[in-house]
Amino acid sequence: MKRWLAAYAVVFYAFLHLPLVTLAVFSFNSSRFTVWQHFSFDWYRAILHDPQLLEATRNSVLIAIVATVISVSAGTLCAYGLWKRGSRLLTGSLYLSLVTPEIVTGVSLLALFQWAFRWFHWQLGIYTVVLAHVAFSIAYVVIVVSARLRTIGPSLEEAALDLGANEWQAFYYVTLPALLPGILAAALLALTVSFDDYVITSMVAGVDSQTLPMVIYAMARRGSSPVINAISALITVFFGALILISEKVRAA
Amino acid sequence: MNRRVFLLGAAGLASCRRDTRPHLNVYNWSAYVAPDTIPRFESEFGVRVRYATYESNEEMLAKVFTGNSGWDVVFPTHNRIQPMRDYGLLAPFQHQWLPNLGNLAAQFRAPAWDPSLQYSVPYMWSSTGIVYSRAAALAPTRWADLWDPRLKGRLTMLDDPEDMLGACLKKLGLSFSSTNPSDLHRAEQEAIAQKPLLRAYLNAEVRDQLVAGDVLVAQLWSTTAQQAIDADPRLKFIFPAEGFPFYCDCAVVLRESHRQKLAHQFLDYLLRPQVSAAIAEATRTATANGAAHALLPPDTRDNPTLYPPPEIIARGEWPRPMPLAAQKLRDRIWTEIKSA
Amino acid sequence: MESRRRNEFFVNLRRWFLLPSWLWMGVLFAAPFAIVLAYSFLTPGVYGGVNPPWTAESYRRLIDPVYLWILLRSFVLALAATGLCLLFAYPAALFISRAGRRKNLYLQLVILPFWTSFLVRTYAWMFLLRDTGLINTVLESLGIIHHPLPLLYNDGAVLLGLVYGYLPFMVLPIYATLERLDPTLAEAAADLGARPWATLFRVLIPLSKPGIVAGCVLVFIPSLGAYLTPDLLGGGRTVMIGNLVQNQFTTARDWSFGSAASIVLMLLVTALLWIFLRRQSEPLA
Repeated sequence: MKRWLAAYAVVFYAFLHLPLVTLAVFSFNSSRFTVWQHFSFDWYRAILHDPQLLEATRNSVLIAIVATVISVSAGTLCAYGLWKRGSRLLTGSLYLSLVTPEIVTGVSLLALFQWAFRWFHWQLGIYTVVLAHVAFSIAYVVIVVSARLRTIGPSLEEAALDLGANEWQAFYYVTLPALLPGILAAALLALTVSFDDYVITSMVAGVDSQTLPMVIYAMARRGSSPVINAISALITVFFGALILISEKVRAA
Repeated sequence: MNRRVFLLGAAGLASCRRDTRPHLNVYNWSAYVAPDTIPRFESEFGVRVRYATYESNEEMLAKVFTGNSGWDVVFPTHNRIQPMRDYGLLAPFQHQWLPNLGNLAAQFRAPAWDPSLQYSVPYMWSSTGIVYSRAAALAPTRWADLWDPRLKGRLTMLDDPEDMLGACLKKLGLSFSSTNPSDLHRAEQEAIAQKPLLRAYLNAEVRDQLVAGDVLVAQLWSTTAQQAIDADPRLKFIFPAEGFPFYCDCAVVLRESHRQKLAHQFLDYLLRPQVSAAIAEATRTATANGAAHALLPPDTRDNPTLYPPPEIIARGEWPRPMPLAAQKLRDRIWTEIKSA
Repeated sequence: MESRRRNEFFVNLRRWFLLPSWLWMGVLFAAPFAIVLAYSFLTPGVYGGVNPPWTAESYRRLIDPVYLWILLRSFVLALAATGLCLLFAYPAALFISRAGRRKNLYLQLVILPFWTSFLVRTYAWMFLLRDTGLINTVLESLGIIHHPLPLLYNDGAVLLGLVYGYLPFMVLPIYATLERLDPTLAEAAADLGARPWATLFRVLIPLSKPGIVAGCVLVFIPSLGAYLTPDLLGGGRTVMIGNLVQNQFTTARDWSFGSAASIVLMLLVTALLWIFLRRQSEPLA
């Protein structure tokens, strides 16, 4: 049976990675179609010459960083607070926000913002996108940090308390540093989820908040493919590198 | 350590986006300006233009109807102008800021949907017809040909309720903008009967597939079809015998805009003959600007797909605005067709 | 005395820690839902938005063969995607759990695609499945087929997209459960004369049920509410609930109907989650 499993694993991993590898390979193809013409960086150059694309990337990065900072802060505090004293309502609603289909989250946030705008004369913009991203990231952060908290266990903190620290000191000087790997993992997760989001962002984005996924989607719908291949390859390489680096740091 | 770095980085990024030039927010159809149109406007007027694109009127209207979308200039199709006006979304023009209005072609100077050009400036016009490849099983000449079983799997229709239902209505010999419920239900039956033959409902993305040969026959707008023909001259575009629609996309200024004068200046800029001609050449669309039309090279100026001769224009119809009840019925029928 | 007051302050500190989250969840989760719920009971405005009077008209419209068919179809597609995910993921999880030193590497390789953009991965399948895509080109050049196969723009393509997108969600929980199993159990079964396949079906699978159930829930629920996959890979021919909701909020501008459909979808999802959580003794993570 071990041989069957190994053979299956080869097929399985090929299936998982083939699409992305194909995109990357064909991003160097000078032809628009799947017939190989010759090696070229044309499509990568096209990315640099597209101001809409560059602005969208800037927006995506900015939104991802700000949303990650906020959701990691709130989420870590929440995970710690829940660990000390559970709250079924909060936990339940966090789980619920996790499984809510993205389109429902998107339209409900849109409804919230449009309703609020009746009173304040504001508009959709980068801040609404950030708020939306925080809304769905918090649950991820709480889960990851909670898992890390369970691994650490209460013993470290109890030892600190026994040695005369008060609750805040125990948290800040003992638990928090021990939590750091978990917080980093949660930050990475929140960053990725935020950078990648299309459905929710497209619903609450405003005039100044075109993000990279929105541009990619528009291109995919319009059929102009090869530039997307290049963008996809870049995104894959970037996040792949990020993950591998974080793994090295964690193992070290 | 990491949180502080994040915060610093975010602050750094936020600060480097400061731009003190006045802004103009323009929301247009995709592939409707030349590469240098916007940059030239930006440098001449010293402003920054935020330019985004959409693929359908509904996509644009969904953002705009709220009355505080942030857009200054949008480009609705002509039969959406009256409802937008009725709903108070459009700002009336100050004609003293639009000296180039006289450049419009004769037929667009007093169009049916806005006779005094009070709210809209005709921009580009097009029609919907059939584009087909020489490799197709038959050469279509009418909408009814698109129901031929020999086209199975290589045929697409537009992912647009107005055009798709319109084609079915014309096939039945009815009016393109019919509001009669029984007419619409008969059209629905036609659409459902055709669905098994279709590869998909696609808009502009079918252009690449036509060129690649994936799709052999498609219902498509004349301008998009011309772009496909440019890439593959073996493709042909025809105006169906039973009738077809003409559309004119018009530039409007939204009432919510705080930059009325700048918006007018942008519209006036688009009306300049050289600018409009450059756009028409680059995007292969049909301009409503008569002075620009005269500047085009002869083979573009007389291109029958983009600028059809008068006898063809006589066979087409300009869709009228849809009353609310009919619009709701059409929306529902569209959902039923898509999920059949 | 003073130290006791300070102690009370720090006891409350725990409550303060939870405050930001209460705030966020209240404003960004509960309030939007309340608004959507309210919208579903109002009348749609002329060009979007909602107005009084209050009415249950939108819900009544949902009980129509067209929409029930969309619901059923979403259900069936999600179920099929879950089943296929389970079929593909279980052997992979089994392989990883037995891989010894390289366990972590194999696990990382499974998770790696998940970290790249979902949109990009869906687009990758568009690229592969097109008539002039890689698969057809390869098959044609090998002489296996003479005309391109219509692989894109149908339910099959959507199913493939769903399975591909959510496969890691099925692999991880099953792997987690398998890894925690006592390896001596399998040995004991072998000692008692069971052949490897029998061990698999009668010992391992029943013991990994919690992981299987978790994985199924993690795949089924997002598949039910999928929007991007049917939109890009379905060619406008596959309408799932997610597409219906998006359509009502944008193109059709019927916010109350879209809200009603959203509420129904949420009720379904909540019911499924409730059933799942009651049968599980330990939480997801």
